[in-house]
Amino acid sequence: MTNALTWASWLLASLAILLSTRNPLLLSLILILLLTLGTRMTEPGSRKRWLGQNLSFIGTMIFLSSLINFIFTHSGNSELFTLPQSWFLIGGPFTLESLVYGTINGLVISSLYLTFAILNKALSVEQLTRLIPTAFYPLTLITTISLTFFPSIQERTAQIKEAQMIRGNPMKKLSDWLPILIPLMVTSLENAVQLSESMTARGFQTHTEDQKSPKGLVLLILSTFLVFSGWILSLFSYPSWTSWSLYLIAFLGIALLFIALSRKVKIVHLHKDRWTTADIAAALLFLLISLLMVSLIISQKTAFLTYDPYPTLKFPSLPLTALLLGLVPGAPLLFNLSHDRH
Amino acid sequence: MIAINHFYFKYPQSGKHILKDVSLQIPSGSLTLVTGASGSGKSTLLRSLNGLVPHFTGGEISGKINVLGKDPINLGPEQMAQWVSTVFQEPETQFIYDRVDDEIAFALEHAGLNRDEMQSRVDTACLFLGIDGLQSRRISTLSGGEKQRISLASALVTQPRLLILDEPTSQLDPQGADEILRYILDLRSRLDLTILISEHRLERVLPYADQMIYLPGDGSARVGTPEDILPQMLLVPPLIEVSKALSLSPLPTHPEEFPKNLTIQPVKETVSVETYAPPPALQISDLSVKLSGQQILDKITLTIHQGEILAMMGPNGAGKTTLLRAVLGLVPSQGARLVMHKSIENHSLNTIINQIGYLPQTPNDLLFSETVLDELVVTLTNHNLEMSSEEMLHHLKELGLDGLASAYPRDLSVGERQRVALAAITIYDPPIILLDEPTRGLDYGNKQSLVQLLQIWKKQKKAILVVTHDVEFAALLADSVLIFNEGRVTYFGEPQKIFTQHPDYQTQTAQIFPGSGWYRLEDVTFSRLSAH
Repeated sequence: MTNALTWASWLLASLAILLSTRNPLLLSLILILLLTLGTRMTEPGSRKRWLGQNLSFIGTMIFLSSLINFIFTHSGNSELFTLPQSWFLIGGPFTLESLVYGTINGLVISSLYLTFAILNKALSVEQLTRLIPTAFYPLTLITTISLTFFPSIQERTAQIKEAQMIRGNPMKKLSDWLPILIPLMVTSLENAVQLSESMTARGFQTHTEDQKSPKGLVLLILSTFLVFSGWILSLFSYPSWTSWSLYLIAFLGIALLFIALSRKVKIVHLHKDRWTTADIAAALLFLLISLLMVSLIISQKTAFLTYDPYPTLKFPSLPLTALLLGLVPGAPLLFNLSHDRH
Repeated sequence: MIAINHFYFKYPQSGKHILKDVSLQIPSGSLTLVTGASGSGKSTLLRSLNGLVPHFTGGEISGKINVLGKDPINLGPEQMAQWVSTVFQEPETQFIYDRVDDEIAFALEHAGLNRDEMQSRVDTACLFLGIDGLQSRRISTLSGGEKQRISLASALVTQPRLLILDEPTSQLDPQGADEILRYILDLRSRLDLTILISEHRLERVLPYADQMIYLPGDGSARVGTPEDILPQMLLVPPLIEVSKALSLSPLPTHPEEFPKNLTIQPVKETVSVETYAPPPALQISDLSVKLSGQQILDKITLTIHQGEILAMMGPNGAGKTTLLRAVLGLVPSQGARLVMHKSIENHSLNTIINQIGYLPQTPNDLLFSETVLDELVVTLTNHNLEMSSEEMLHHLKELGLDGLASAYPRDLSVGERQRVALAAITIYDPPIILLDEPTRGLDYGNKQSLVQLLQIWKKQKKAILVVTHDVEFAALLADSVLIFNEGRVTYFGEPQKIFTQHPDYQTQTAQIFPGSGWYRLEDVTFSRLSAH
């Protein structure tokens, strides 16, 4: 499974599932699967480090999320203790339900983070930028710079922190981080300028035709108008198909515009993204699941995925359908995940 | 052919022209070395040939530039990319993608070439530069030399007619630099390329240069053959210094061109008996470091005495920086570390740095204050020390920074910024100083100032450990030399043997006077030379 579009469809399906559920059992299952997938995709020598770093991030995220919700949300019936109501923001009952709700938030955030971290591992920067429609070429420039820079900024932060520590900065208080921010900002800006200079000198966007077209602008305005019209109709008692039809026409209009604009960008990629049988099968599977999730969300039939600890905490159930959907983010484990695109 | 006529350029918000009335011609197929002090306009001149100046930088421009019949001022860098390729100073900052083949093909993808042609050109460039096995690798896993070759391949793949290289060997060890330069030379002969190289370490490129452009720093540019230009330059490599002193004409640009008919009169050897050995400042024994399961350092043992300068050299990736970091306890290590006979094994970083000052490879990482003086105050505050302004100003004067106390550190030149960083790490007077690649990006003048400063500190009994790729710089300073390879010490001892005999570390002086034992300019006794 190496195709960028297959991974994009995996991302779509995983996000649709992750954003539809608040079931802690299901979220824990997804988290374990994502950790397993990420570990398998890491080079054997670095697996322990990757797992350790991510576990500490997830632990911190869940702890902070639980703590914040526990302190500031005072709903739920299972009171653990109470602080005087007059205490600003934190006054009121501290409940088990708010603690669990915070933990669920932490599980969702951690799973989302891991999903994107895995996508980043699965695809090269070139493949990732290729997922952005060529019509948005300036956006591709910014994305490329960000993707290339993110790991280097992490590395630079570590270097500058070390440089400040050897100067005697204890790096304990928040104010101790100021000496890191300035060199980091300056060098990041310098590096960004150097990178864009290099891209310009290497002919970036040389063969892009002028993308400003009055027809395109008209189509964009018309499509936006249709989206708003559909939304307005949905507020009144018109049948829902009228709104959805307008959304569909608007979507087709925007898609047409993108296709037309993309054709004006004459860029040929060195590698044709390969479609193996596994890629096709996986992409179809993830697209079907994404469509299923979208239809469930539209028809508001996602109750089997939801869980609410309020008003009184109860043990979550895990229906078979939910369990099967929970396995989807881990599905790439069934495929060959080699990076080789040749 | 390149022709520049009455070219003037001034950066935005700059009061003066960095290039003033520059007129020169560069013949097709030549290799031209561009040289001059930091800030003299070398990079500006190179960037004006591909249109980055003024299209990317902005600024005021006048005059005419003709590159292969094209006008870069009108066409801009995107169009000029079809004929001109540029390799910038630091390969890391110019990589766009994370995979080798994607990176090399970037310019071709944007030129809209068909896929087969693209693949063929990428394969050819990789084969040519000896990186054909690396095509599917992630760039982050490669060594400095391999990265440098990838940036060269990315430049060559467009089949340019003009190749611009801005300090292409600044981060490489002598062997890596020589290898890259040989590739470049090979390219010129095989592809009929016109090549322009900007370089501070003249000794590396001079043997290959057909002509030179010298920017003395007043905005002008002097062009001519090395024989014409070298006599006009104040600071030159040892080979040229010696040749000038011997009034050789034409001046040799390679040690092999130096006259072989000189004999050196022998002198009666005097045996000196060392009566005093200074006490050791830093002792390391059996120091090992393992990172991510890989053995980076393997049982390193060394001693630096008070008032001694130890030069540590070795290929890129040998583990030199890791050793410095291990000494400070920044990476986990095994083995013993002693400062002034006392173990620092369980000491915190803050305790260790009271005795060891460390200048990392990028001095910019240390600087963040509003003024140079504030940088010293920050270090003193971190160490809970107090010092009068007079004392701090005296320290700045010692480092050649007098008059710059209220300057914004990041506005200073490369050499000045480095000295500010040095001032910041030595204001509390640590007895041991570790320097990691301190000559990176420094011109001859700045390098000379650094040598003088380190010699002053040596006299003050400081123990100094310098990691460097710069053989001539190391030879000027070192009391002892440590050669490092793959995490192991391959040589540790007196410098003469290394600088006169080791093929990778032989200085120019040693090359032109083989068997004399001389390896520094100051060793050359002209009265002992005679022609036969």
